[in-house]
Amino acid sequence: MSSEPALMSLTAVAKAIADKRVSSREVTQSCLDRIAKWNPKLNAFMAIEADDALKAADSADAALAKGGPKGALHGVPLAHKDMYYDKGKVVTCGSKIRKDFVATTTSTALQRLKDAGTVRLGSLQMVEFAYGPTGHNPHYGAVRNPWNIDHITGGSSSGSGSAVAARLTFAALGSDTGGSIRMPAHFCGVTGLKTTVGLISRAGAMPLSWTLDTVGPLAQTVEDCALLTGLMAGADAEDPTASDLPVPNYMAAAREPIKGLKIGVPAAFYVDDLDAEVARALDETLATLKKEGAEIVKVELPDQRQLSAACQFVLATEAASLHKRWMIERPQDYGAQVLMRLQNGLAIPAVSYLEAIRWRGPALAAYLAAVEGTDAVIAPVAPMPAATIAESDVGNSPEAEAVIQRITRFTRPINYLGLPSLSIPAGFTKSGLPVGMQIIGRSFDEAMLIRIGAAFQRATDFHQKVPKLP
Amino acid sequence: MTRPTAKEIKALSDVAGVPVDSDVAARIANSIGPAFEGFAPVAGTLPFDLEPATYLLVQAPRVTK
Repeated sequence: MSSEPALMSLTAVAKAIADKRVSSREVTQSCLDRIAKWNPKLNAFMAIEADDALKAADSADAALAKGGPKGALHGVPLAHKDMYYDKGKVVTCGSKIRKDFVATTTSTALQRLKDAGTVRLGSLQMVEFAYGPTGHNPHYGAVRNPWNIDHITGGSSSGSGSAVAARLTFAALGSDTGGSIRMPAHFCGVTGLKTTVGLISRAGAMPLSWTLDTVGPLAQTVEDCALLTGLMAGADAEDPTASDLPVPNYMAAAREPIKGLKIGVPAAFYVDDLDAEVARALDETLATLKKEGAEIVKVELPDQRQLSAACQFVLATEAASLHKRWMIERPQDYGAQVLMRLQNGLAIPAVSYLEAIRWRGPALAAYLAAVEGTDAVIAPVAPMPAATIAESDVGNSPEAEAVIQRITRFTRPINYLGLPSLSIPAGFTKSGLPVGMQIIGRSFDEAMLIRIGAAFQRATDFHQKVPKLP
Repeated sequence: MTRPTAKEIKALSDVAGVPVDSDVAARIANSIGPAFEGFAPVAGTLPFDLEPATYLLVQAPRVTK
């Protein structure tokens, strides 16, 4: 066991607590010590609840002394993106508008993790209303990348990516509507799972686009994501859109070999206009998967630009609809970037939005036909590593719009199709910035992504690298 | 399908009840315009009987063995 418990993986620390090799208090204190050192540099936390966390850890230790663990995450301290309602707690959604909003319910995803025994460390920073890909936030400040604090974390789950990378929390919930889990995972060098639309209940999670929103974890390892997803997935009476399919054993999937699997690599779009270091990481990832026994095949995908455009229509229109009342009553309380994005939704006629909704079925069918015969598809999460905070600051940098268009290019099509996608650390640039790859699967086939991702992590150590305190 | 002009966006936002001024309308036109161009090959081509629920039928699991 590491001398610093906060450096352990989620699955390792959960087992260590359950086996009484370490107490929840020791683990929670270790996280709080790192938060005290790192957070002033990173701005990853929205709220730090040290006293309450230690009290909850003591209760967890006392309960364990009396009997067995409450669940698979007994006494494990976690913090999540500040958009998951937690009854009685302020949930800002990264906004000024909701800075004093006290949740009256607890989100299903969060409740299921609590039922498994987790301890709350506090809440994590995010992009205002989860509507932005960089990690800037005019109300609470930009979250910083632990690998280089002048660079973005990616968004909108900015605090989740930064805090997991710096080992301030063992894992964190994010949300992914246009890339908001995969981008922070890629830019911060952690593992992130964008789940299939409907796999995990959205009840009590702040909405951005009811058609596209997904709940998912960011963590050190694929195995950690498998554990969390298994705990959160499944039917929910509070969310009729949540799937009632049986939840697979994702932890078992993580142990399966990949020999004989066929993994597709797009012949175009996802391999175009890549930075050289991202292209190199893709080649090396393919070589590793091949060495593990997978067969790599080229796939010709339908036009992904059309999918991206359809995603923008759906996202912008639904977000504008959700925010319309505040856009009328409190426009001054939005940050400029988010208000601008919301206003974009006003320009999309209802018929165009509905065409984008109607086309989703045929578009998914065409994608599935194109990848027939493969088990998953692999592609970069973004064509570049993390940009600097300065160069991606809309309104203050002439390059910002181009940077934003570029970093969201490879994530939006997957959101439109509603498919699962696992982002895994796949290398580092010469300057020390992480590079991630996404493994894209069929609807509700997270188990396959976990199988491939876990095999990759058994063969590599990118996910075990820890940034040094600046 | 062509991208909406700033003038059209101004009219749309007025009708939506969230009016924007001409500068904002021009900014929106620039920002959202590429999405209209990207979706142009699809717009106006969908078959009569296609309903949104088709997505759920296609999404139903066909998990690999």
